[in-house]
Amino acid sequence: MKAFSKIHPFVLITYFLIIITVSMFVSNPVIKLLSLAGAALFSFVITDRKERLENIKFYLPLALLIAVTNPIVSHNGETPLFFMNGNAVTLEAVFYGIDISVMIISVMLWFRSYSIVMTSDKFVYLFGRIMPRTALVISMAIRFVPMLKRRISEVSRVQKSMGLYSVQSLTDRLHSLVRVMSAVIGWSLESAVETSRSMKSRGYGLKGHSCYSDYKMTKNDIAVFAVFILLTAIMFSGASDGHLRFYFYPVISDLNTDFIADIAYSAFGILAFFPFLFEVEESIRWKYYRSKISALRMQARKKMYWKV
Amino acid sequence: MKNRKNLISALILLIGIPVIMAVGFLIFGGKRYAFISAGIAVLSCVPFFMSFERNSDNNSVKLVIISVMTALSVAGRVLFSMLYGIKPVTAIIIIAALYLGSEAGFMTGSLTALVSNFFFGQGIWTPFQMFTWGLIGFIAGIFSEKLKKNRLILYVYGALSGIAYSLVIDIWSVFWNYGEFDFSKYPVLISSSFVFTLMYAVSNVIFLMLLVKPIGGKLERIITKYGI
Repeated sequence: MKAFSKIHPFVLITYFLIIITVSMFVSNPVIKLLSLAGAALFSFVITDRKERLENIKFYLPLALLIAVTNPIVSHNGETPLFFMNGNAVTLEAVFYGIDISVMIISVMLWFRSYSIVMTSDKFVYLFGRIMPRTALVISMAIRFVPMLKRRISEVSRVQKSMGLYSVQSLTDRLHSLVRVMSAVIGWSLESAVETSRSMKSRGYGLKGHSCYSDYKMTKNDIAVFAVFILLTAIMFSGASDGHLRFYFYPVISDLNTDFIADIAYSAFGILAFFPFLFEVEESIRWKYYRSKISALRMQARKKMYWKV
Repeated sequence: MKNRKNLISALILLIGIPVIMAVGFLIFGGKRYAFISAGIAVLSCVPFFMSFERNSDNNSVKLVIISVMTALSVAGRVLFSMLYGIKPVTAIIIIAALYLGSEAGFMTGSLTALVSNFFFGQGIWTPFQMFTWGLIGFIAGIFSEKLKKNRLILYVYGALSGIAYSLVIDIWSVFWNYGEFDFSKYPVLISSSFVFTLMYAVSNVIFLMLLVKPIGGKLERIITKYGI
């Protein structure tokens, strides 16, 4: 299903950096709407039904809340719609609220897809080359978190069964917490030293010590990377001359739709929809192959019948 | 050798920050300050990471212990996630810095932010948390002798770092919500987050009181036992 996540991590992180930076910091409504649509469609195809429902339940009220808050709080703008408690609710503030809410939701959706696609092992793989020690610490810390949680619950269960644990008074509970923490820390630090000795005996830090990696840059990855960079360059060359400039206060500005702006919009549109289209294309191809396989099977079966 | 290292770090900041500012001003109109501040937060972490990578004192024992301390503060953040504002994270970072030094303090702090956001969700807040928690650890490491000797100063430092954390995150919120740094908006945000600031400060002191003996004692013991 997740064809997009099969792309090389370096290409993926570049993509997410570009798309998140642009959707966060370029203030242009077309760009923001395109980004929201791309993010929504992509997170729709990479989540299952339950998650989709949860996402809609979470993001829709949030979007409404953000959109409604701005015109109530901010009274900038020159076109009053109506007055509330003596304060003007302006057209500009309403649209600016919608604009903020589109931006925040799209960025959150992109970060959400980032967490699904860029798992922590890919992150560690990427930084393992430039910062091997830091990457090692990160990957070990990620592994230690569930271990510590397990040990904390184990020690507290032992303490409970020994009758040293009280749930009644707060001070007793804090004392128990301290005792549990102290045991877990001692245990984990000792085993940490053991881990490091085992690492040392396996040659960690020696010259020529290589590391395993599961990722290889293929021609496809390079092609996809080149497309990303090209689209971004086109988009930014449009943005840098102020062609995408847009503002809400004091009066909503006109949306620039000259030739350069249109090219920038389409470049960004392709970029924003890329992950979604990539998924869809892959699933169509998969269905096509499957139907082909079942057709071949049917043929083979027919032949068998003829023979018999 | 050490001079060269400092030179490279200085160059990264001296070249990187103007580049980020130029990109921000040229491309990102209204949100340029938010972009620039996020970029600077990332860049400011780089020299710390670089010196950590180059320092040959960082043998495998130290690396594993830093990861344990990071995991511990992440686990603390996860276990206390339903009590908003009350977290043992800062206390654990400070304790790690006291016994492992300022560099390890920075690493524990910034990696706590990074790793815990793998659980809570990465976002634009990640670089700011990384830099703030890292710096809290770094400064605690510099003054470790004084802080270890006098408990009262330690608690004051814990309270101050809770307040500082909240203030820095508020600076970021001003950039983020209003596009530029507006001095009239900053006090409003500070006062709206006042309850959280207070909770950070108080919970830091309480967790330092509770944890400095069990965690610090164990760390000291390991350091003496294995001669790190």
